[in-house]
Amino acid sequence: MMNNMNRRNSTVTTDVVTPATNQTTTAAPTASMGGGGMGGGGMGGGGMGMNNACYVSPIRPTEVPALDPNPDVVFNRSVDMNIPVVMDDGKTINMWGFANSLGGGMNGMGNGTFPSPPMRVRQGQIVHTRLNVGMMLYHTIHHHGIEPEYRSDGVGHISWDVQGTYTYQWRPMHAGTYFYHCHTNTVLHVEMGMYGTLIVDPPEGPGTAFSGGPSYDLEAIWAVDEIDSSWHNLDWTAGTCGGDVGLNDLNPDYFIINGIDGARSALSNPGVAVTMNRGQRLLVRYICAGYLPQTIRFGGLTAEVIASDGRPLPRSFQTGQLDAVSAERYDCIIQPTQSGTHTIKIDIKDWVTGAVLGTARTRVTVV
Amino acid sequence: MDEGIDRRTFLKAGIAGFGGTVLASTGLLTWAPRSHAAVIAKTFYITEGFVTQADGVDVYFRGFSSSSTTLNVPGEQLIVQDGDTVRMTIVNTLGSSHSFVIDGLIDSGPIQGGQTKVVQFVASNPGSYLYHDGLNVPYNRLTGLHGGFAVMPAGSGNELYGGSPTFMQQYFWIFNDIDPAWNRAVQNGQLPTSPYKPRYFTINGLSGRPPGAAGNKNPMVDSMADPLTKLDGHIGDRTLVRCLNAGMVQNAIHPHANHMEWLTKNRRILPYVWEKDVIPLDGNGGAVDTIFPFDSPPDAWPPVTNQTLIQAENEGRHTAFPMHLHNEMTQTSGGGSYLFGALTDIYYHSK
Repeated sequence: MMNNMNRRNSTVTTDVVTPATNQTTTAAPTASMGGGGMGGGGMGGGGMGMNNACYVSPIRPTEVPALDPNPDVVFNRSVDMNIPVVMDDGKTINMWGFANSLGGGMNGMGNGTFPSPPMRVRQGQIVHTRLNVGMMLYHTIHHHGIEPEYRSDGVGHISWDVQGTYTYQWRPMHAGTYFYHCHTNTVLHVEMGMYGTLIVDPPEGPGTAFSGGPSYDLEAIWAVDEIDSSWHNLDWTAGTCGGDVGLNDLNPDYFIINGIDGARSALSNPGVAVTMNRGQRLLVRYICAGYLPQTIRFGGLTAEVIASDGRPLPRSFQTGQLDAVSAERYDCIIQPTQSGTHTIKIDIKDWVTGAVLGTARTRVTVV
Repeated sequence: MDEGIDRRTFLKAGIAGFGGTVLASTGLLTWAPRSHAAVIAKTFYITEGFVTQADGVDVYFRGFSSSSTTLNVPGEQLIVQDGDTVRMTIVNTLGSSHSFVIDGLIDSGPIQGGQTKVVQFVASNPGSYLYHDGLNVPYNRLTGLHGGFAVMPAGSGNELYGGSPTFMQQYFWIFNDIDPAWNRAVQNGQLPTSPYKPRYFTINGLSGRPPGAAGNKNPMVDSMADPLTKLDGHIGDRTLVRCLNAGMVQNAIHPHANHMEWLTKNRRILPYVWEKDVIPLDGNGGAVDTIFPFDSPPDAWPPVTNQTLIQAENEGRHTAFPMHLHNEMTQTSGGGSYLFGALTDIYYHSK
C-alpha cells in the first residue's frame, strides 16, 4: 500500500501558493451516540437498537449564540414520523415532517403534516425557529437559502444534530422564496418529506415580490417532488453506519406538488390548482423540492421570471418553460389576458439520461 | 483515527515504498500574471491503480498522473495564461490506447499503449476546461482520465475572462460519479454491460469523512480537509470556483453561507450574473464558473464580523459551512453512509 497521490503539487506553472493565515485546527464534535470510537463506515449493530446512528453529531452545544430576547417571530417545530399520505392509486405512503408545535417530547405522536407547516416572515425580522426532537432521535432544521451564523445553519457535522430543544436564530435580509428542511441524514430525511415552504416578504408585505419589484394579486406555491416508495420503510439512521441501503439510487414512483399526487389530485386540489381572473397577476413560487432535474411547462401561459433563489434577476425574462435542479426556486409572474384552462406539467427526469420518469400536473383556470 | 498513510490509493502494478509529496497547509490560491507569454511544458503519465473508497471497497481507476509511479485522479490542475504555448508530453504506460483532449484547444489523437506523444498548442479563450481522454467516451474519462485546465486572461490575475467580475483566489471543484462495474469493464478492456448506477461521488477525487470517521481531517482522503478543495478565506476574499463535471449525473451545487455569482455555463459567458444558492452543473463534461464572495453571511443575527470571527477563534471554534450537492444521493458512498460523498467545507477566518 502506498500513498502516491501527488495532490499538493497541483496547479503547476506560475502559481503562487501562499500559506493560509489563521488556519484553525477544528475541534470537531465527536460523532455518534453510544460512546464514539467509530470505525470508518463499518460500524453496524452498535447495540443500541434501531435508533443507533454512527455519523450524527450529538454533542450538546457548549457555546450557542446569544438569543435575542425579543424576536419578532417565533416558530415552534417538532417531529412527526408517522404521516400517512394516500396517493391516487389508493396506496398509503408514510411520510415524515415537522409539526407546528414543540410537541410533548414524543416522536411520531404529533400533528405533523407533509409538507411541513409553512413559514412566512418579513425581511429584516429577527426570527427564532425552536426545534424540539424527542428521545432517541436526531434531526435539524436548515433554512435553505437563508444564510445565518453557522450555529443557526442546522448542519450536523458543522455544529450538532439536535436532540431535545434548540433554537435557530436568523434575520432574513432578502425577500423571496425559500424552503426549510431537516439536514440530518439528509438524503433520507428530505426524501421522507421533512421540508416546508419558507417565504420572506419585503417590508411592504405580501403583494410585492421584493422591494422595488413586481406586485401580484394572488400567488401559488408549487413545491414539486418525487417519491421513491421503496425508501419509505427505512429507519431514520439508515445507511449512517455503513452498509448498502440503496440511497445512491432513487427510483421514484410518485410525483407530487405540495404533497398532493400530481397524477390526478393536484389538478384540482385547492392547495395547488389556481383559479384567477383575466388580468390578474399571479406570482408562482416554484420550488424544485426533489432530488432529480425537473422541467416545468406552463401550459401555454407566459411566465415572466423575476427572481431565483431569493434574489431578483438582474433582468427578468419571459418563457413558457423552465429547467430546474434540486432546491432551485424560480419566482414567475403570470398575467393571462384570456380565459382558459392551462395544465401545468412538471417533468421529473433521470439525472443521467434526462429521460422523463414521471410528470406532476396541476391547473390554472382563468375566468 | 486513521493516522495513515494515505488516501488509500495504490498502483495496480505498484512500486514499493513510494511516498507522496505533501505540501503542508496550503491556502489562498493566487495567480501571478506575466506580461509575456511563456512556454509551459508538462508531462503526464497515463497510469492505473485502485482507490479505496469510504466503504472499504477498492475501485479501479486510470489517471493522467504526475509520474509513472503515481495515480492521480483527477490529474494535476493546470493554469496557464492566454497566449502561452503549452507543450504536453503524454506517456502512456498502459497497454491500451488513450488520448489527451481539451475541447476547442487540443486533441492529441490516439496514443498507443507504451507510446509517448508530445503535443503543443497555444492557449486561448480564457476560461475553465476539462482535459480528458477523448477515446472510449465516456468510459475512460469516468475511470479517472480527466483533470482541470484553466486559461487566465493575459496579464490579469483576478479575472475569469477580460472584464469579468474579479476574484482574489481560485479553486477547481471537479466532480465525478463512479459505477465500479463500469470501471471494471475498462480494466478488462470491455464495454460495460450493466446500466449506469453510480455508487461513489467525488469532488477533486475525494469524498467526505465526517467527524468520528476514519480519515476525518486527513487531507489525503477527506474532501472537507483537502486544501485544494475546501474554501478558506476572510470576509471579502472573493473566490472563483471552476466547477467541472467529469461524471454523468446532473448536479446541483449548493454552498451554504453565501449565494454564488454564476458567471458561465458550459464555457458560455452568461449575459447577466445571477446570485444563486443552487447552481446546476450538467453531467458528461458540464462546466460552470462561479464566485463565492466570502461575504458575511447576510442573514446572521447578530451579524458575523471580523471581530466575531476573532472571538470564535479565541474560543476554539471554527466558523464553517458546507458546500454539498443537493441531489443528495451524491452525498452517499456505496449505497449509504451519508456525508461520505461529494461535499466540502467553507472556512471563514479572521484577518
